[in-house]
Amino acid sequence: MKPPHSTGPLQGVRVLEHTKVWAGPYAGKLLALLGAEVIRVESQDSLDATRRYGVQDINAAPGFLAVNPGKLSVQLSLKTAEGRRLFKELVMHSDIFIENLRPGAVSRQGLDYEALRAVKPDIIAVSMSMHGGDGPLSYQTGYAPSFSALAGLCHMVGYPDGPPKLVNIRYGDSSFGTAAAFAAVVALYHHRATGEGQFIDVSAVESIASMLGDVFMDYFLTGHIPVRDGNRHADMAPHGCYPCGDEDWISIAVPSDEAWRALTDAMGRPELAADRRYADSGSRCRAAEELDRLLGAWTRGQDADELSARLRERGIAAFKSVNSIELIADAQLWQRGFYHAVMDSLQCETPIAGAPWRMSVSNPSVERAAPRLGEHNDYVLGDLLGLSESERQRLVDEKIVY
Amino acid sequence: MTALKRLRILELAGDVAGEYCGKLVADFGAEVIKIEAPGLGSATRRRAPLCRSGAPQERSALFAYLNTNKRSVTLDLAAPRGREILLRLAGTVDALIDDHPKGYLEGLGLDPGECGHRHPGLVICSVTPFGYEAPAELQRACSLNVFQSSGWGYHTPSDPDPGTPPLKGAGRFLTDYESGLSAAIALVAALYFKSGSGRGQFVDVSEQASLASLSDYVLGQMVAGHMDVNTKRSAFDLGGPATFFQCRDGYVYLFMTEPGHWNGLYRLMGEPPWMLEFPERWLELHLTPERIQRCRMQIAQWMKSQERVDVATRAQKLGVALVPVNTVKDVLESPQLQHRKYFVELDHPTLGRSKYPTVPYQFSRTPARLEAHAPLLGQHTEQVLGAVAGIGPPSAGTLHEPGVIRR
Repeated sequence: MKPPHSTGPLQGVRVLEHTKVWAGPYAGKLLALLGAEVIRVESQDSLDATRRYGVQDINAAPGFLAVNPGKLSVQLSLKTAEGRRLFKELVMHSDIFIENLRPGAVSRQGLDYEALRAVKPDIIAVSMSMHGGDGPLSYQTGYAPSFSALAGLCHMVGYPDGPPKLVNIRYGDSSFGTAAAFAAVVALYHHRATGEGQFIDVSAVESIASMLGDVFMDYFLTGHIPVRDGNRHADMAPHGCYPCGDEDWISIAVPSDEAWRALTDAMGRPELAADRRYADSGSRCRAAEELDRLLGAWTRGQDADELSARLRERGIAAFKSVNSIELIADAQLWQRGFYHAVMDSLQCETPIAGAPWRMSVSNPSVERAAPRLGEHNDYVLGDLLGLSESERQRLVDEKIVY
Repeated sequence: MTALKRLRILELAGDVAGEYCGKLVADFGAEVIKIEAPGLGSATRRRAPLCRSGAPQERSALFAYLNTNKRSVTLDLAAPRGREILLRLAGTVDALIDDHPKGYLEGLGLDPGECGHRHPGLVICSVTPFGYEAPAELQRACSLNVFQSSGWGYHTPSDPDPGTPPLKGAGRFLTDYESGLSAAIALVAALYFKSGSGRGQFVDVSEQASLASLSDYVLGQMVAGHMDVNTKRSAFDLGGPATFFQCRDGYVYLFMTEPGHWNGLYRLMGEPPWMLEFPERWLELHLTPERIQRCRMQIAQWMKSQERVDVATRAQKLGVALVPVNTVKDVLESPQLQHRKYFVELDHPTLGRSKYPTVPYQFSRTPARLEAHAPLLGQHTEQVLGAVAGIGPPSAGTLHEPGVIRR
């Protein structure tokens, strides 16, 4: 059973994923969304926790389904010598290898870069860990919120005088995975030009620190360490989320004097535009607290959707803070095909969260849902590695394909 | 040798998302030619942080960060001659990065729909708040609005008090950096495709979709009908006792979801009896609000007397995912980031010598490099235009006549 021909820009590229949970699988998902053939190597003796969360049936775990659409799954027990040997054979047929196991784990399995390079000199090997592969803290481990705390992000999130907060607890793994996927594509470009592979070591903490580039620059230039300031913005005021009816919130940002005049018109308070205390962005920023009070008193009780549509008509940057119900119904995300249906192995259609990009020529289309465990054993071991049916049966019997 | 050395890219982008996308490829050696308005330059040249002296368009550390390794060419795109030169330049590059709303490229004669005919090998990468085809009224959205449109906003912070507003994320530009990175993946993938097929194409990146994609572990479950979808501000949350705790000298964050974490914590805290009153595997199977509250109170009490880095180091050695909450200063001083040389120094004519954050991925063969400071406005105009057949040499004087390129 051959997987269908890809139409994406990375068609013909094969990725071998030795990953767990979210960050590594998300990197693989982005490459699958670009048309690469992404093979997850799995085994019942080290099953990904996301195949088990909340379900009895490991082929129906919702979290796994969400992050692994379009991939292939092959079973190989890496606790066996033959499993590891077959894994390396697969490496010989692959362009990119991605792992995000605990620091040192792939070395213990004999599957580190040096071992892979010995069988496939031009492999692109991407290693993902919280702190990077070497250095004094590289032994430490953590999860998405730990990355944000270490990277300087949490310290800036929260309300004035309150404790640090998380940009939602889910934030971090996928950003880290995105950085890894970008690195892989860059290395792939270099490979096409020169035939050279390489080793890429990605740090989660540094991936999140990349979201604060200007904050670091500010610190270097002025020594300023940002404090928790709710929704304040150095260049604009008003800037924030304001209460509406039904416990909704509307986000409004005023980046220019023109936008400020438009907002005061919409509020029916043209005298505010003439008020010298709010004359330019500098003075508005200094009066941010007062402006937040004025604006909040005006938005309170209004319908967030109607109000944001009305403000946008006047050229004001406004958008309702959307809840999960509105998010899965969002018109833009459906119209772009960001949400789109894939076919699962029972031939049922199910929607996924897809790609942030659309392409006019090589528009990638993932058509299949996340794989059942070992769904592609025959293709990977038979078609790719050339093992006969009886050899494959032996591997199953000996729990090497497990 | 850097990975993208062979690529030549025009950058029309003038905001953070597009400029960051350009920086990501420029730091890998792509020749990124930034087109800027004579006299004014990119809007980011005037955005904070600003140093006190120097020409007004050369004071921004934000611009300095976003435009390392790029070249600056000033060109008046309002003038027909400026647009003509731009089109000629477009014929010499592999790709173009833009972040203006629909209509801008069309006005320059670079209609993405027609580019396939005129410039069949050109990749046009556009990054806009809601995608290229979104209604015009949505194109004015600021980073805050996009963050709030993506699901992240409503669900930030975790553990919300419903009376306090949803938050912007962190800093000013989280939306822009995330979207710029997502655009850069699509751009380089499209360039990879071009290197095999010779074909360019239009790449349309939505900032809203870039952010929404990042929540796919929950969003994918929600859209597939596998997870409860509701109006709660906590709908993205994980549940459980993981949270921040105050130490003597700052905060730590403690993540806890499995027995290994709990057992390590038991040893870290000196085997306190209260922990034995919790059922086995309670973190996975027996979470209740009462247990979470009690556990947090007890830990908070103990943590008050600890020092943040010291307790985190001891915790890590016991398998407990406890980390200090760092300030930007702590990050700069982190022995780990120093070991990896995450920050490097670079000279700039007005900003002087400063550290810069580099990149989170280390390449064994073709590492990203910060080689050149962000360009002064128009620094490379004559050099770049002079080298393009039919425009130069600059000494001919024709370029300067209508003020087309003058700084």
